[in-house]
Amino acid sequence: MSESIARIPNGMRYYCNSEAKARREVETIAMSVFAGWSYEEITTPTIDYYSLFNKGIGNTLADKAFKFADADGRILTVRPDVTSGVARAAATLCANRARPLRFSYVASVFRQKQQSHAEWRREITQIGCELIGRNSRVADLEVLLIALEIFRQLELEHDLVITLNNVEILKGIADGLQLDPNSREELRRLVDSRNAQDITAFLQLYTPREDASAFARLVQLSGKEEVFGPAQRIITNPRSLAALDRLQVLWQTIQSLDLAERFEIDLGNVSQLDYYTGLTFTIYVRGAGAALGSGGRYDDLLANFGKSEPAIGFVLNLDALSDLLSARSNRVVEARRQTWETISSVDRDSLELFREALRKREIGKCIRIDMNEVGTCAN
Amino acid sequence: MRELIIAIAKGRLQAEALELLSRAGICANGDSRESRRLAIRDESGQYKLLFVKPNDVPVYVEHGIADCGIVGRDVLLEFEPDVLQPLTLNIGRCQIIVAAPEAATPSASGMLTIATKHSHIAAKHFRSRGQPVEIIELSGSVELAPGLGLSDCIVDLVQTGTTLRDNGLKIVEVITDSMGRLIVNRASYQLKATSIATLIAALRQATDWGGAT
Repeated sequence: MSESIARIPNGMRYYCNSEAKARREVETIAMSVFAGWSYEEITTPTIDYYSLFNKGIGNTLADKAFKFADADGRILTVRPDVTSGVARAAATLCANRARPLRFSYVASVFRQKQQSHAEWRREITQIGCELIGRNSRVADLEVLLIALEIFRQLELEHDLVITLNNVEILKGIADGLQLDPNSREELRRLVDSRNAQDITAFLQLYTPREDASAFARLVQLSGKEEVFGPAQRIITNPRSLAALDRLQVLWQTIQSLDLAERFEIDLGNVSQLDYYTGLTFTIYVRGAGAALGSGGRYDDLLANFGKSEPAIGFVLNLDALSDLLSARSNRVVEARRQTWETISSVDRDSLELFREALRKREIGKCIRIDMNEVGTCAN
Repeated sequence: MRELIIAIAKGRLQAEALELLSRAGICANGDSRESRRLAIRDESGQYKLLFVKPNDVPVYVEHGIADCGIVGRDVLLEFEPDVLQPLTLNIGRCQIIVAAPEAATPSASGMLTIATKHSHIAAKHFRSRGQPVEIIELSGSVELAPGLGLSDCIVDLVQTGTTLRDNGLKIVEVITDSMGRLIVNRASYQLKATSIATLIAALRQATDWGGAT
């Protein structure tokens, strides 16, 4: 039996009508915010070598990509991520340009394997930006403020929480315990799931019980300014302390800008520990069951492409974002609902019809030609 | 405070979970407890409780339909959902074990056939040590399989071990312990931070470890 032509592959879908419109609107708003902060748009190849993504975003995500062989036998993938391609361009194509480089993009990324049970899509449209060549509080803050402005323009600011962490805190602790890569990944997983009992049990293999349970309390700390005091008492190693200090300085700037209401410190947020090197952040909006965006500092990535320099960036999930906006009939998206003036083609000379149409288009009117009776048109 | 929706695994864990919740001050009133409704409000109106199949608890929580869930660790190991697990609850204590017939002799080929409801846990356990296995997924009465020749052994949950003994099986290996856990949706953990922190503190207080942790 032949397969129905209506069938589409798992994790793929159409967007039409108001949904397609909401997507275009979110994209336009985000890209105009990026442009407003002087980020230039970049388009990366849709298909690229597997080795690029393996070196870039890392094998966990690269392995989830659709793969096939090129004519010369090298493995190609449909891009699972945009950052890898941007980083390579920065290190090669744009190696001689003045720093910092500021890039923005909107692009689909593809994963053969579903990312999680809740994220069923295998094509996800990412809106993102990268700031390459600076490792400073100014750079960290610039990208955070850009993210915030996008949500402000989408009128989602009051439902927004951006959580902040510095992954160097956990890396410093793992170093101090001399964890091998496997144990470090295990610790990351436990911290990420926030189970104090599991973390304590795991750390007791390496450190006295009091230290283990103190650390377990540390990763459950989330909140605002009040997080720093207890954290500074628990942490002893210099690498982690420096990272905590940097986070606190950033926090104080956010506070001075009167933006503390939108941000939270969350010392347990440690996804993708091997990729990120400093500040990390995750964006949650009321009404969405999963994060709508995430980002952070990835100072080690460009060295993989032969030019060691710092970078920071974030991505937003356009699909989840426009789903949310459509579901709550957001004003920003609604405002763009269009109306058309119908021009009848019934019993009319087509020359006259199109003269009218062109005249109206010239003055910017939206028109819709009624073709129901087109067969009766003269000529 | 925002209303929290808690998904609770029906069956084995349900009575203990409700008892724990009521010790934490979250009481379903008598009427609704006896009714067969699958969604009820607690007396304070701050919590809504959903009763769903154990395997569905992480599904509701991962999608953010429920903010939190109470479910056995066995379910979390089997499905590896992307949720937070801030608290282990001293309820529904059991073990995930490998059991084989009393008189079993290791097969010469080294290949093992395993009947189980927990195919992911079983596969992961044996593959991590390079043991080739064939997993036969069943949905119940797993203890029958070795006796009837369907499999060499089983991977299953046990509380007392009575069913195993009655079917001529013995525990060969304990894979891990399992207990009830509180799980939380990642977005809810941030967006309803105060309510969730209150719930975690109340449940931690109400969890009776009998002196041991």
